[in-house]
Amino acid sequence: MTRRILHVGVALLLIYVLLFVQLELIQVVQAGTLRDHSLNTREITMVFDAPRGSIRTADGETVAETVSVSGARPRLRQYPYGSLYSHLVGFITAQHGGSGLERSQNDFLAGNDLGVRIQDTRDLFVDRARTGQLELSVRHDVQLVARAALAGHRGAAVVIDPSSGAVLAMWSSPHFDPNYLSSHDLAAVGNDFAVLNSDEEGALTNRADSQLSEVGAIFTAVTAAAAIEAGLTDLKVPLSNKILTETSTELIKNEGNRTCGGDLTSLLLANCRTGWATIGLDLGRSDLRNRFRNFGLAESVSTDAAIHLSGLLTPDEVGLSAAHAAAGIGVQLSPLHVAHLFATIANDGLRVRPRVVNQVTSHDGSVIRDFTPELLGQVIAPETASKLRAMLAVNVKQGSAQGLALDDVEVAGMLASGFTDNPHVWATALAPVTQPELAIAVLLEGDEFSDSQVAETVVARITRSIIEAVLRLPSSNLEGTQ
Amino acid sequence: MNLEAAGDVNHQRIVELTLLLLAAFITCATIALAAVGEQVEITWGVVPYLTTLLILWAVVHMTLRRRAPTSNGVLFPIAALLQGLGFALMVRIDPSLAPRQAMWSLIGVASFIAIMVGLRNLHQLSKVRTPLGIAGVLLVFLPLISERDVSGSEISLALQLGRLRVVPGELGKLFLIIFFATWLADYRTRNTAEYLGQVERIEGDRSRLIPLLGGWLLSSAIVIFQYDAGSALVTFTVFMAMWWVAAGRPLDLAVSLGAIAVTVVVGVGSLPELQNRLTAWIDPWSNPQLGDAITRSLFALAGGGLTGTGPGAGNADWVPGVTDHFAFVPIGEELGFVGATAVLSGYLLLAGVGLRIATRARREFDSVLAIGVAVFVGSEAWASVATTLRLLPPSAMSLPFISANGSALLTWNLALALLLRISETVPEVADQTAILPKIALKSRSES
Repeated sequence: MTRRILHVGVALLLIYVLLFVQLELIQVVQAGTLRDHSLNTREITMVFDAPRGSIRTADGETVAETVSVSGARPRLRQYPYGSLYSHLVGFITAQHGGSGLERSQNDFLAGNDLGVRIQDTRDLFVDRARTGQLELSVRHDVQLVARAALAGHRGAAVVIDPSSGAVLAMWSSPHFDPNYLSSHDLAAVGNDFAVLNSDEEGALTNRADSQLSEVGAIFTAVTAAAAIEAGLTDLKVPLSNKILTETSTELIKNEGNRTCGGDLTSLLLANCRTGWATIGLDLGRSDLRNRFRNFGLAESVSTDAAIHLSGLLTPDEVGLSAAHAAAGIGVQLSPLHVAHLFATIANDGLRVRPRVVNQVTSHDGSVIRDFTPELLGQVIAPETASKLRAMLAVNVKQGSAQGLALDDVEVAGMLASGFTDNPHVWATALAPVTQPELAIAVLLEGDEFSDSQVAETVVARITRSIIEAVLRLPSSNLEGTQ
Repeated sequence: MNLEAAGDVNHQRIVELTLLLLAAFITCATIALAAVGEQVEITWGVVPYLTTLLILWAVVHMTLRRRAPTSNGVLFPIAALLQGLGFALMVRIDPSLAPRQAMWSLIGVASFIAIMVGLRNLHQLSKVRTPLGIAGVLLVFLPLISERDVSGSEISLALQLGRLRVVPGELGKLFLIIFFATWLADYRTRNTAEYLGQVERIEGDRSRLIPLLGGWLLSSAIVIFQYDAGSALVTFTVFMAMWWVAAGRPLDLAVSLGAIAVTVVVGVGSLPELQNRLTAWIDPWSNPQLGDAITRSLFALAGGGLTGTGPGAGNADWVPGVTDHFAFVPIGEELGFVGATAVLSGYLLLAGVGLRIATRARREFDSVLAIGVAVFVGSEAWASVATTLRLLPPSAMSLPFISANGSALLTWNLALALLLRISETVPEVADQTAILPKIALKSRSES
């Protein structure tokens, strides 16, 4: 009997060893991964009642601040501009976590960051509530322009200053008012959150940086850059209306079964899928994959650490053939990626990381952390970039993107439409061509955009109005973004 | 304190007193640390309840000195430490739990003393084994009759009697363990008698299968009617452990395991509620609604890391059910991997000491009962922690001595009293009466 009691004891010990191992895995080995998990709202809810830094735009408007209130909870988070910054700044709730910068920059705002917490030697010994204030690169006036231009549409717009990588505006619609989520009425917040969370159109999703859509013709800018660098400038693609891909018997056809061909510029102007596919076959999959990676399209440039775009796959990895990828068929990107791509082309091929936060300041205004432009390397030669810009300018003057043309400023850009499932339309541009001050990407979604003609007219009008307005804004503000 | 008698006191009681003082210190220190932490509302209002708890420990210690002086001296301090830690962490999360926990401690200690005073000989239990068995089954399934949650979304195996929250399942299981222990003791006695040729061997006797069948039916019923895999697992494990020790037939073990596997497969195949729980368990990441409690408990544990956030600095009330079946979460979060490991070791030690007591028990009934109780505590704690760590599908297992789970504290105090009673060495070992002349005299004069 004693021996069998020993069996029981050993069995008990063994199953407890399982617990110890699992505990070690959760609390030590995988702790970091779990802490950064997108569903993890623990830290943000922990600091709900704590002092919290404010968030200001580059031109000095306060867009999020914590005020003292009377009641059971001492502080209330407020967003003076309501839904204008709903996705970019995000929200913080008592029970449902947070989003946007409120979440990704929580360490600064809540004062968890060592640099914020310890601002002078006295802070080493006295536990004072220190918070960091965020100053954004986003400009209030540009953000207003973007919202006004997209009014009534579902979609997103991103405006970037090419030379500094500063995001000047980031708007996504449908939107929501974060004030309702930061409220102290927890029952009402619960309802609102449930409604937003189950919203069919995804009101909580930041379409600007965390939703991928097929880009189609937009991606031919990358193919063109690759072709120019490969010395294919003088190449004349023979006329054709369909082409066989290298991996399958599947055909790539042109819209309306047109026949097209010629040099790179004529391919661009005619939106010639078969032509780009031919070039893609010539370049090969690995070249396109490298271009994709070099332009930063395979990595997360997202502002919201909660959204994991880091696993972005190159066309190669999702199994696209070189021909498909070169023509942009099946290539998916976010508006931020597209704007980033055009910012790189505008900046003579020198890639600068997009950023929305300029600096973090302490309670007395001294700078704790300065986010200077982060150069990510020369992706394409300056000559290639300028050739590409010239081609894109011709595309606006007499090609497929004529809707983007402005009277007094030369614009380079592209439009893409005709996506059958999940109808949407893209516009992207940089202006002015000679000395680009902005790169922009606009995405519109909705069934009304299944018709290419209508879709391109609408998106071009919206994009043009944003470019026009931003270029006319006082330039002192532009300088203010450093 | 009865300090003048210290010179005559059994070694076990000295060990117990020392460890108890340590447990009291750790408990008070934990509450004090939590109180000085930021953003925590621990008021002086907790002090009377904490004092009550400490006085109750002293009362238990004194009772053991008088009524069971040679009983094991390690068991109670471990249980006390677990209870003290639980009190400290739960009260921080929900201050309104303090009076409730103190009251259940009082009831628990009262019944503990009742057993120590009233039940000098555990063999008396076999006289009431049939009522105990029936009461056990009724108690296990009582929640079903009274509050059948039709949607089945809420895990609750508790009853609300006025202001008291009663969890009858655990008490029922303890009763069933006693019943089963008496049955197994009889079975072994008869087997031995048959072996020795004192009674005639009955050919083709299948009566030994009755408890196995009973254990299987009980576990299956718990799975099917209460959707509670953890509770069923504990019941089954305890039965199997007792059966294995008493009968030692590998074939029976294998057949029972097969039978329970059939139950699980059939149950999962036919009960959508079980399937829901299973899907939420297998992939909580893509089922944010169903898997919310699971992911949150993992996040909270990960937030604790190696050394924890410190008492009172966690965010555990963010996890649903944190004072009850997710009671391990605040431990892991606030005390970290180090503290959580210590608590787990406490349970392992509790079960281990229980098994050791079983090997030294004077009678077979005592031995089998000790195994049942020890495995009950060990496996219940295991199932509760395993649920928290996503090793088991969601179930309503509370953590013994720690969870603020109403009457569960009563059950665990009773279980402890039984183990301590079994661990006594004095009455039948003549040598030890020499070491303890006063106490031996006392018990003689009393009887």
